[in-house]
Amino acid sequence: MRKKYTIPTYFAFGWLGFAVFLAVFGSFIPIDGYQVIHGDFIDSPPFTSGHWFGVDSNGYDIFSGIINGARLSIFIAVVSVGLGGFIGSLLGVTAAYYRGRYDSVVNTAFNVVLSVPNLVLALALVAVLATNVDINEAVPTWRRLITLVMSLTIVIIPILGRIARAATLAWSGREFIVAARSMGMRDRHIISRHIVPNVLPALIAVGFLAVGVVIIAEASLSLLGVGIPDGASWGGMIARGRNDLEYNPHALYIPIIALAFTVISTNHVGDVLRGKLDRREGRL
Amino acid sequence: MNSMMSIGNLHVRFATPFGSLEAVRSVDLEIPAGASVGIVGESGSGKTVACRAAMGLLSGSNVQRDGTVVFDGKELTAMTREEVRNEFGTGMAMIFQDPMTALNPVRRIGTQLSESLRLRLGMDKKAALARSAELLSLVRIPDPEAMLKKFPYQLSGGMRQRVMIAIAISCNPKLLFADEPTTALDVTVQAQILQLLSELRRDLKMSMVLITHDLGVVANHTDFVAVMYAGEVVEQATTAELFANMKMPYTQALLNSIPNIEMKSGERLQVIEGRLPNPVDRPKGCGFVTRCSYAQQKCHDEHPPLLDAGNGHLYRCWYPLGHTIARKP
Amino acid sequence: MAGSGVAHMRNNDEVVLEVRDLVVEFKAGGGRVVNAVSKISFDVCRGETLAIVGESGCGKTTLGKAVLQLPPPNSGDVIFEGTNLSKLPKEQLRSARTAMQMVFQDPISSLDPRMMVRDLIEEPLWVWERGSEEERAVKVRELLNNVGLDPELVLNRRSYEFSGGQCQRISIARSLALEPRMLICDEPVSALDVSIQAQILNLLQDMKDRYGLTMIFISHDLAVVKAVSNRIMVMYLGKICEVGSPDVIYSKPAHHYTSALINSVPIPDPTRKRTTVPLQGEPPSPVAPPSGCRFRTRCPAATEKCAAEEPQLREVSPGQFVACHHPRS
Repeated sequence: MRKKYTIPTYFAFGWLGFAVFLAVFGSFIPIDGYQVIHGDFIDSPPFTSGHWFGVDSNGYDIFSGIINGARLSIFIAVVSVGLGGFIGSLLGVTAAYYRGRYDSVVNTAFNVVLSVPNLVLALALVAVLATNVDINEAVPTWRRLITLVMSLTIVIIPILGRIARAATLAWSGREFIVAARSMGMRDRHIISRHIVPNVLPALIAVGFLAVGVVIIAEASLSLLGVGIPDGASWGGMIARGRNDLEYNPHALYIPIIALAFTVISTNHVGDVLRGKLDRREGRL
Repeated sequence: MNSMMSIGNLHVRFATPFGSLEAVRSVDLEIPAGASVGIVGESGSGKTVACRAAMGLLSGSNVQRDGTVVFDGKELTAMTREEVRNEFGTGMAMIFQDPMTALNPVRRIGTQLSESLRLRLGMDKKAALARSAELLSLVRIPDPEAMLKKFPYQLSGGMRQRVMIAIAISCNPKLLFADEPTTALDVTVQAQILQLLSELRRDLKMSMVLITHDLGVVANHTDFVAVMYAGEVVEQATTAELFANMKMPYTQALLNSIPNIEMKSGERLQVIEGRLPNPVDRPKGCGFVTRCSYAQQKCHDEHPPLLDAGNGHLYRCWYPLGHTIARKP
Repeated sequence: MAGSGVAHMRNNDEVVLEVRDLVVEFKAGGGRVVNAVSKISFDVCRGETLAIVGESGCGKTTLGKAVLQLPPPNSGDVIFEGTNLSKLPKEQLRSARTAMQMVFQDPISSLDPRMMVRDLIEEPLWVWERGSEEERAVKVRELLNNVGLDPELVLNRRSYEFSGGQCQRISIARSLALEPRMLICDEPVSALDVSIQAQILNLLQDMKDRYGLTMIFISHDLAVVKAVSNRIMVMYLGKICEVGSPDVIYSKPAHHYTSALINSVPIPDPTRKRTTVPLQGEPPSPVAPPSGCRFRTRCPAATEKCAAEEPQLREVSPGQFVACHHPRS
């Protein structure tokens, strides 16, 4: 009884595929790098020959910026969701499986972190971890990047961790877990063979939603001036473009469109996956 | 005897990816006023689908219903959905197998019970709550006032089923459908609930349809029995006649497979081997032929019609039990 | 009905499982304690089937799981083939447990829906690294054949593609994979249609003979256990009411609760009306069980003595033990 996918679903998968393609192979596309200044084309509108998306007030090519931004934004999102999801589900699954004091500690920690708004938390972490005591000394880009990924990971851990915990609680009540125990299976095998495969689909669906959250959070941080230096990510491009809104609005709205499409697509894919999952659960 | 519900030539088909599935085939059933009718069959025999279709509860683009259903002198099959809906509660009511899922878990018993009274009978809140307490004592719940304030999860399965019955009879229905009302319950509670249903039916002058997979349940609580198999009624008679002169090998096999307290310890139970035929691709002969120990060639080739033994005892078999033709054991 | 007491214990060489003064308590909210199993003792001889019978909430499932130390009881000893399981270190317990396996009530929930039947049944062999991959594959096929399933048709399918009865067969095959000496069946047929129940009960009997199993069979239905058991233990609210052989228990139950259970079983014969009223009410909460005999609140023969003093198990006829101050005669 396979349901046909709708046009938005095709679009969402298509756009995400395209964005991932740009992120992976963007540097092989034969166009100038994003930091090359095209002095003759400053403030060119979109569809100028050689500069499809136009050029901003600094002379940077926007198409090139979008490609490079895709790499950074998606890299940051995937790494922090992957890492956060891994740590979060490790904590969530084991907490729900073993219960007891360990579970209360983990659950309380999740709740504490969740009670702080995402952005405030990330901002605080970046502020603490990515500043030098001597304000005259610049913070290296790699340190900014690692700090950013770390803080976003910390934001993601409780979000996915709680999903993993709830799903594990539901599954470990099933009798096949008791059956596995009665046949002498070790706890780590029960978790890896029976709990994780059942919890994973729910996590993947929510993971897609989390990618959207992270992309927005990263852009917001850039907008506040604590993202990747030099305005290389999509958020950074928006931050930079907003100063020149009067002269070349496309420098602002093109990265916004790219960002919006990506976030809408991840949300939509997450919803589709969850819907498929629910139907499957219904059969079980 | 007046007829409460009369089902004529009822067919229900579901469209599935594997083809059209005919869940109910040509079912005729008469429910006399004040009587209790048992519908017996295995899972997948179509007993629940037939009743829901008769009540007009099946909807959706993949369901097709044919036939006529006359309820209390009104033809349900000719009515609009809105008109059919008006019959629920005051005309027909239903209780389900799993009382936990049929009750709303976050609302108090009193709220759920008084809701239908207020909506259907136009009572004010105070009167509805007072009537709710009365209904709870009618279903023999001790301390009904305290029960009104409880939530479903605070009750045992038997208590929940009593609450469901109270909701079902709240608007004085003329016909009560009970779909496996005791399957999820302990034997002791099952005995209580069955007795309660029989008493309520007598006191409130209701008709009742009792759907079950257990012939033991219908034996003492119904006036008529219809046995369903593979979407058809295969045997139908008054309860006394059915148990006294069983015609269908299937009915007998169903009866023999019931674990009996009079068995000797270590004795083997009789079983019905095999399974129901695939509803998408039914054999052309008798549906029970592959599982029947009396099957002859004719049973494979021709579909048996519903025959009348003369006293209203209907059966669908070429070689009914007690027939003179020599049988293969 | 208190069932404290050890009069029914047999001290011979044939005893495989001995349970002494087993107590299982759960914490309920607000510092209250659920007394699920209160000081129960019993034994099972080699090749015997002990049936544990009682209503939901009487602690029979908890008792079955506590024998397997899932979770370990709060106090008391479980001695299996001379080894005290309650005192074993974790790793030794893990390996001792393989000699006892369990079959669960809900056949769907006891199989991982994401695993193929092949992997489900091989799993216990994989855990204990029994045999090579080929040997395990042969063993899986043999087990499936033994429980009446065609390996070719089921090996590569998942549990949700099967009916409840088939899932229960798969569960049984899995529980036999490690060649246990004892099988604990927790309501293995109560989720199934009557017609399928008989098949599974016969299968369990066959498996018992083929593998020389000792069984504990937990059920709420006395009719179901009649055919399969050698000894019956009736439980109520965490205590033992009566112990005896099936024939004696059914023909002259000494405990009023046993007699009520027998009278609750529906008789599939409309000409035999019940003369007794079914047991009224529901068991009290195990959080605050009644003093003295725990059954006294529903017992027709209760006196002041029953509230004051807890009855001990005593022999009323050879092999029949009852915990009651006023046993039926």
